Amino acid sequence: MARTKKIKTRIVAPAVLATFALVAGACGSDDAAEPAEAPAEETAEETAEEPAESPAEEPAAEADRSITVALVGNDNITRMGELAAEYFTPETGIEVNLTVLDEQTLREVTTRDVGAGGEQFDVVQIGMYETPQFGANGWLVGLNDLAAASDTYDIDDLIPAVRNGLSVDGELYSSPFYAESSFVMYRSDIIDNMPDAPTWDEVAAIAREIDSDEMAGICLRGKPGWGDLGAAFTTVLNTFGGTWWAANEDGSIGESQVDQPEFAEALNFYVDLLNDAGEDDAANSSFNECKTLYEEGKVAMWYDATVAASLFPEDVVENTAFALAPTKETEASGWLWAWTLAIPVSTSDQEAAWEFIDWATNADYHEIIAAEDGWRAVPPGTRQSLYERPEYQEAAGAFAQRTLDAMLAAPIDNPGTTPRPGLPGVQYVGVPEFQDVGTRCTELFSAAIAGSMSVDDALADCHIIASEVSS
Amino acid sequence: MSDAVTEHTEPQSIEYDEPTDHADEVKRLERREGWKRRLPILPALLFTILVTQIPFLFTLFYSLTEWRLDTPEPREVIGFENYAALPDDKFFRDAAWVSVKMTVSAVLLSLIVGTGLALLLDRKFFGQGFVRTLLITPFLVMPVVAGLLWKTQMFNSTFGVINWFIETLGFGPTEFATRFPLASVVVVLVWQWSPFMMLIVLAGLQGQDASTLEAARVDGATSWGTFRQITFPQLRPYLELGTLLGAIYLIQVYDHIEIITGGSPDSKNLPFYIAQRSIGGGNRFGLASSYSIIVVIASIIIANIGLRVLSGLLEDDS
Repeated sequence: MARTKKIKTRIVAPAVLATFALVAGACGSDDAAEPAEAPAEETAEETAEEPAESPAEEPAAEADRSITVALVGNDNITRMGELAAEYFTPETGIEVNLTVLDEQTLREVTTRDVGAGGEQFDVVQIGMYETPQFGANGWLVGLNDLAAASDTYDIDDLIPAVRNGLSVDGELYSSPFYAESSFVMYRSDIIDNMPDAPTWDEVAAIAREIDSDEMAGICLRGKPGWGDLGAAFTTVLNTFGGTWWAANEDGSIGESQVDQPEFAEALNFYVDLLNDAGEDDAANSSFNECKTLYEEGKVAMWYDATVAASLFPEDVVENTAFALAPTKETEASGWLWAWTLAIPVSTSDQEAAWEFIDWATNADYHEIIAAEDGWRAVPPGTRQSLYERPEYQEAAGAFAQRTLDAMLAAPIDNPGTTPRPGLPGVQYVGVPEFQDVGTRCTELFSAAIAGSMSVDDALADCHIIASEVSS
Repeated sequence: MSDAVTEHTEPQSIEYDEPTDHADEVKRLERREGWKRRLPILPALLFTILVTQIPFLFTLFYSLTEWRLDTPEPREVIGFENYAALPDDKFFRDAAWVSVKMTVSAVLLSLIVGTGLALLLDRKFFGQGFVRTLLITPFLVMPVVAGLLWKTQMFNSTFGVINWFIETLGFGPTEFATRFPLASVVVVLVWQWSPFMMLIVLAGLQGQDASTLEAARVDGATSWGTFRQITFPQLRPYLELGTLLGAIYLIQVYDHIEIITGGSPDSKNLPFYIAQRSIGGGNRFGLASSYSIIVVIASIIIANIGLRVLSGLLEDDS
């Protein structure tokens, strides 16, 4: 009996300890799991109180105004955040609270916040995929009137293809910060036999030829995410003659085409090329990882977004040449994408939100960036006036025209060889269902690249996922 | 007869009944006393019931609806359709299987490693306290930090410690986290949870009766024999407790998976899958709610079985 009691007290002690530890662990993980959201919540509270205060005492209150902005963690976008504190806030008195997230997380957070009418953000960074959907859903503030009333924002200066992609029935729903297509960047000091408009077979042959222990032949995205691996792979898929879904006559999603031979051929090609001549740890690499590898000279060639060229250091640009996005069955395969700024209808300070968007996306911002970092670093692809400036043509001559041509050639309404009316988009399919399907399928494809799953299993599972949303 | 007898015997019968009446009275008083004592806690109890059960009821309701965020159609009640679709969901089954594999292997391995460490720590040596503190440290690291630490410092194919070690042995670099996602997560879980198991087992070891061990030694028992016949039977309740607590916590692992593998198919457990189908981009809140309900029910069943296994431990009162 005494023995049992002893055991019991002995057990209670660790059990209590364990409970404390669990509680502590749970709190800790919560805090750390959403590091980026925590500050945003605080600031969201501040902004929520704003309208009550500001009308009362206009000049004094203006200094207290603040907006919360969700941004994607790309170099030239975070640079804009830094410059906002330096230029925008002193000029307007509007404090800008930034929430910088990686692409995938940003998409989840913004969709949830904007869609559910949360008041976390006054300005959200979304892309060409989200804008038409969110706009049509009535989740965003239309920008036409705001733009017309602005002295600094010239809406007609926007490149038409970009403006169209961000409009619903002629109403602009988000303002482009930069826009891009995709092309091949390669080391001109190492590769001299790259055609101007290569095919994928040519690119693959060159990559395999130069691949060595010191330098991989090519860098391609392999990280899960419809905007990561999904983007690069879908352009390959299109030009191989495959597509994600057939389209029904009413423009809705038809049957999954993942089980078609073209799809398998494209994925096998992609996985094989990465295994034979791709970067190390390809299943973990996307734009930022490839950019680092390319700049460090660890890969000889990189197929990705045209915007990369404006982010390279000077010495890297000097040794880099640019070729059009590789093709197989189609004329062109480059994508069309824009990272843009939009105002959710749930914003508490629409005026301040617009002031910020106007500042970050008008032609005057180009001047600021040019003065700070040089003309080559100006966010490309949004305004015609930029491409008409001699300073820009001189500084970015190596890729400026190529970028513009690629953007204009992007087959946004009819990518690939399979017509799919109602399902627009080059490196994505412009329907809400694609976000989920693309993410889950690219997880499988990424596992195939890593070798923890076979390509056939990945395709079979992806077909099930894609079939779930067919109507 | 009966009347007279009853009248006559009444006082007697009261006397007989008295003890039972007393007991009733005592019970009533005790009950009242109990309520009096419980009353101040009642608001807290109600509050707890409200905050834990109302969300559950909402989840129950949502699970009967078709509710998507990405299409602006309103929420629609569809009855048990979400549940009916469950058996056909290959990915739910896969995630459940991953949950089982991950939890069982992580709990068992950390139990083995923890027991080993506890046995080593159970003897007196110089710097014992310091070593014990060092060994406990992994358990105090936040899950996200542990995940990052292992992903970047240990598993990484270019600057990871493990790959450096492997390469000095003459093998090529391996991307552990993407090549072996499940094993990678389990390794980190074992690293974090072995100290916890060690603490519990150590408590059991130090509760041993020194004179029994002494007697065994005097009788010439081998150390393996002593462990098998004396130490282990006494450790059993501690091992069971460690298993139960470890399983309860490890079945919910999310952070490690998110950080280390990002949910690659082989490491996607139920919590991760449910998060992905709802807030993680799937935006299918109705469907995800039905998954949650199923998981709650399954967890309750499993926890009950676990508790029954531990009944020896919990029924000591009798």
